[in-house]
Amino acid sequence: MDFRKIATIAAMLLLLAPQVGMASSGGAPLPKADWTFKGVFGRFDPAALKRGAQVANEVCLGCHAIKYIKYDHLRSIGLTEAEVKAFAEAQGKNKKDRMLSAMSDADAKESFGVVPPDLSLMTKARKGYENYTYGILTGYLTEAETEMIDNATSDDALSDEEIKQIAAKLHLDAHNPDYVREVVRRIGAGDNFNRYFPGNFFAMPQPLTADAVEYADGTKTTLEQHSNDVVTFLAWAAEPSLEARKSLGIKVILYLILLTVMLFAVKRRVWAKLH
Amino acid sequence: MSKSLMEWVDERIPVSDLIKSQATEYPTPKNLNYWWNFGSLALTVLIIMILTGLFLAMHYKPDAALAFDSVEHIMRDVNYGWLLRYLHANGATFFFIVIYIHILRGMYYGSYRAPREILWWLGIVIFFLMMGTAFMGYVLPWGQMSYWGAAVITNLMSAIPLVGPDLVTWIWGGFAVGDPTLNRFFVLHFLLPFVLFGAVFVHLWALHAVHSNNPVGIDVPHKDTIPFHPYYTIKDVYGVGVLLIVYLSFVFYAPNFFLEPDNYIPANPMQTPAHIVPEWYFLPFYAILRSIDFLGSFSKLAGVLAMGGSIAIWFLLPFLDRSPVRSFRYRPLSRRLFWIFFIDTLILGWVGYNPADATVLDGALPMITIGRTATFIYFGYFVLLWAITAFGIEKPNEVPKSI
Repeated sequence: MDFRKIATIAAMLLLLAPQVGMASSGGAPLPKADWTFKGVFGRFDPAALKRGAQVANEVCLGCHAIKYIKYDHLRSIGLTEAEVKAFAEAQGKNKKDRMLSAMSDADAKESFGVVPPDLSLMTKARKGYENYTYGILTGYLTEAETEMIDNATSDDALSDEEIKQIAAKLHLDAHNPDYVREVVRRIGAGDNFNRYFPGNFFAMPQPLTADAVEYADGTKTTLEQHSNDVVTFLAWAAEPSLEARKSLGIKVILYLILLTVMLFAVKRRVWAKLH
Repeated sequence: MSKSLMEWVDERIPVSDLIKSQATEYPTPKNLNYWWNFGSLALTVLIIMILTGLFLAMHYKPDAALAFDSVEHIMRDVNYGWLLRYLHANGATFFFIVIYIHILRGMYYGSYRAPREILWWLGIVIFFLMMGTAFMGYVLPWGQMSYWGAAVITNLMSAIPLVGPDLVTWIWGGFAVGDPTLNRFFVLHFLLPFVLFGAVFVHLWALHAVHSNNPVGIDVPHKDTIPFHPYYTIKDVYGVGVLLIVYLSFVFYAPNFFLEPDNYIPANPMQTPAHIVPEWYFLPFYAILRSIDFLGSFSKLAGVLAMGGSIAIWFLLPFLDRSPVRSFRYRPLSRRLFWIFFIDTLILGWVGYNPADATVLDGALPMITIGRTATFIYFGYFVLLWAITAFGIEKPNEVPKSI
């Protein structure tokens, strides 16, 4: 057997991997957004960072903390001294303070049953990374979907047709009507449904809606735009060194490639004496 | 001046002689292929690990209440701390990649055969030290996977008859994984690399006593050797260049590729992650552990023994392999067995990555069945290698008289 055969077999084995079946319901496949900060030359969009910081400050901090970031750090994403001061003061803080939640842990526990997780590392701490956070923010029921479920449940039993329709809209498994019924029942009972959350129900009510925040730069305030901006901000909060890392990386890798090519040439030349 | 200074030193401690006989003029077979680069690559990664680890330890706090925050402090506040940490975390991955290739090279070319048995055994000792060090290092960031990985793996000790449960309590320093566990793991994680470094020195000492094997696998007369310098110094340095390109590409452009997202969630003893997976380099052995589940109350102990045995059995290779020929290049049956063994360990790794209750082919084939079969094949390799060589079943091809 030669190496090529081995490699082919190994590659085929790897292709098998995604077909693994799991017992638990995994949530719908995450939306794949185009993040500007992905890839070798990826950089954060400065305008999105600024808008996202505003969404985080005005919306997320209501319940969550972003404890590894101090208001003063926001100057490094382009906020002016005055803007930083205004952000901090809006939360009753000063610029040296960390971005902590306005809500105490005890109050959060009483309202939600759990203390909302810190968001500093959220985009690195879930499978799917940024797409996960974006999926959660945009994965709640739309008004049309709520209406559809209301209509379907108005006449008691769900028909097969209704189950199929609901399953398709909410990315549920249509082959498991019992699960769809259970989802509809829990939505009716007021539980928080999210199509992308593994298990579909969790403690967080929809945190972000269109027009939640008014942007100074006039950008439209759709849910998708808000989500895109705040996820960009959270990605920065999770990895403020991302841009430094990528720009240093290019220099290091290019240098190494040049060096290695030269080392290879020297190696060839040294060994040529032998033959 | 410098010449006379060197002479002065050499009269008192013969440094120049040592460098000449063991490095520059050290006779090396002229036919070593690129698979022989991986020893020097392993040493390179070890040095990178020790240096980055040293500087990380200056900023890290081995305290259950502070550890997670101190890693983020390194990532955010320490100058180039993110680079140190990503070099160290990905360095572990590349250390294992390099070492696995180094071990497989030894297996394929019969480098464990006489007179290199002790050299081979020292290598296995180094590998055990490496696994222990890597395991304890992974606990230090004190994320969810750190905590639960530590809990699962240390708990295996409880399978040991009579003393097991007490032993586990002793290792933990309490009745659960906690602050004392983290503190001692940090101490050991700092200490073991230096023990490992000492073992590497003895490994090299043994190597220089018996000299390198080579792809043909025959003993090489002096006329077929070349001085280590410049031939292998330049070849090794070139190899280091290639390794660094691959390794640093991950460090700079996919630093979290080999890490579990769950480890960015601080350790929480009250909440078990949905799916606890060890680091990728432990997966084949983890799969073997989980595959032994059919022996009732003995399953846990048997699984632990099978897992330990899957590596310990490498110690027996010099005795199991009875072929008159070292290199598998001239042993068609052994070569086929080797590649089956290689693919089998990849399958074991994949099984280890998936949940134990997963299935493939729409539920027709449970993961556990694949795991058991692959475990059987894993150990079968050693039995068959012995059988085909001890009973003369394998007819080796003709081996060249010289390289």
